[in-house]
Amino acid sequence: MSLLGADYRRDMGVHSYPFLVYALTPLAALVLQAWLPRLVRGYTWFDLPLVVTVYFALARRNPIQGSLMGAGMGLFEDALTHHAIGVNGIAKTVAGFLAGSVGVRIDVENHTIRMMVTFVLSLLSSVIYFSIYRVLLGLSLEWSWLAELMKAVVNSLIAMVLFPLLDRTQVRD
Amino acid sequence: MESFFVRYRNLLVLLAILLAQIIGLAMQVRRTDSGRNSLDPQDAPGVRLLRLWADMVVTPPERAFHASRLGTVGLWQNYIDLRHIREQNQDLQKTIDRLRLEQASLLEDAKQGERLQALVDFQQKYIYKTLAAQAIGTSGSDSSRVFYIDKGADYKLERDMAVITPDGIVGKVRDVFPHSAQVLAINDQTSGAGVILETTRIRGILRGNAAGRPQIVGILKDDRIQPGEKVLTAGGDLVFPRGLPVGVVEKVVTDPDRDAFIDVIVKPAAHLDRLDEVLVITSTEPRFPPEQQQDMAMSEMLKGAQAAAISEANKEQKKASEVMAERLPGLTDPNAPAANPASGQATAQPGQGATPPATTPPPVPKLLHPQHPDRFTPAAALPPNGESSAPAGQEKKPAPKIGLKPESKPEVKSGPKANPPPAHAEGKTQP
Repeated sequence: MSLLGADYRRDMGVHSYPFLVYALTPLAALVLQAWLPRLVRGYTWFDLPLVVTVYFALARRNPIQGSLMGAGMGLFEDALTHHAIGVNGIAKTVAGFLAGSVGVRIDVENHTIRMMVTFVLSLLSSVIYFSIYRVLLGLSLEWSWLAELMKAVVNSLIAMVLFPLLDRTQVRD
Repeated sequence: MESFFVRYRNLLVLLAILLAQIIGLAMQVRRTDSGRNSLDPQDAPGVRLLRLWADMVVTPPERAFHASRLGTVGLWQNYIDLRHIREQNQDLQKTIDRLRLEQASLLEDAKQGERLQALVDFQQKYIYKTLAAQAIGTSGSDSSRVFYIDKGADYKLERDMAVITPDGIVGKVRDVFPHSAQVLAINDQTSGAGVILETTRIRGILRGNAAGRPQIVGILKDDRIQPGEKVLTAGGDLVFPRGLPVGVVEKVVTDPDRDAFIDVIVKPAAHLDRLDEVLVITSTEPRFPPEQQQDMAMSEMLKGAQAAAISEANKEQKKASEVMAERLPGLTDPNAPAANPASGQATAQPGQGATPPATTPPPVPKLLHPQHPDRFTPAAALPPNGESSAPAGQEKKPAPKIGLKPESKPEVKSGPKANPPPAHAEGKTQP
């Protein structure tokens, strides 16, 4: 399966980016995720680290890289909260892995498809987060599905704007 | 074997990453005595190290963003948008004067409260020292209502210090880093603050719900709780001093898990979603801080000065009324004789030929005589015509004493040295 995927990736072309983009984009996403809620009066209806993870996983078409980036971003987010470290990490690891796997099989140049992938993975990430917290850890946590749905929609809108901007930083072979 | 790893490399890496994180999670959760899982409130060293690294990465850019934003806002507010500032200044000065007087009037109550608390050996803690700090960042997650402030261990902040604003309480310090601190807001689901309703005096625990609204949980159904009632800190949680404003009751809903209980949704007094500057209570003492004592002394002084000013104003007003009375001839009769202060005595001694006063004496109220007087009737023993009420040929007997034993009845002596018994004890009226 992976060999087929590798051949297919070669056919589709793997995008690469300058090192600064790799380093600064996730960092900027993490910092803005922590800072922007102060400006929008606490409405945290977006998840910039998830959007960036999905973007790089789709563009690189590599599930392992997507998993590692998702794990790193999720752990970092967990470290900024007062919850257990690893809940967001697991959720974003799975999201990054699936995004990388999807990137192998579909045309990720299409903006609509990327938006839909972002929407689905955002919801899936919320489900995994909730499941880990309630089932795996056995901790009580109230949940608002409306807020999660709103977050998925906003993430898709952010992706619609952010992905083309990041596409411009690609290194052309 | 090698082909297996190559073939399933992606899945194996995914499983390895997930397994590592699950093991890490399992090390952070512990089971409490009640059989429920709980996160360890004190982070393990490894976990704390991760939080410290994340804070070190995020805090400097947040400080830069915050400083630039403050600079822009300050430039606008301090140099450009200064309209109506003079009127505001005057209004504020009036407010300060009014508050000083109010504070002075409340001072006695506060001192009395302190004395009473000392009597019952209760140590009321007052806010002694606060530290101003700027909110610079958040956790970035809906499920974790924490934010970061720009003061940390370098300002001797400690865990569980209360964080407030002048409007109301905000939260408590959860973790302290070298140059920043993490504050757990009162609308987080894991927070807990002891609160009391101001009117009904019902106590409860305040924590946040999924929507980020603070609510008081664990209260039995009570119809007295109405929207608009103030909520204050109860002071029993060893974090918040007693009596700080928390908010007002917004609505009351039934607890979804327990029918007999209600959840009181509270509208917080502090603007939790628009926090810029907060105060960290770094010290509480069982007495007022020196600044507040100095302020109260000034208030008392000002109150005394104002009382003297009011007295002086009354005197001036009195003088003015006297002057007006002298100048207005219609108010006094020029033919009337001068008022004699000794006229009362002259009236009481008619045999000395004193001139009766020209003014008519005030009417003396006449007592109505009861149709069936008894011994409890005032002046019942003395009829209007001076005759005895007892029938003819019957001796007047003293009324029985109330509350005195018969053997303790003193004899009435007619001698000059004999002390007459009190009228109420003997049932007689004095002549």
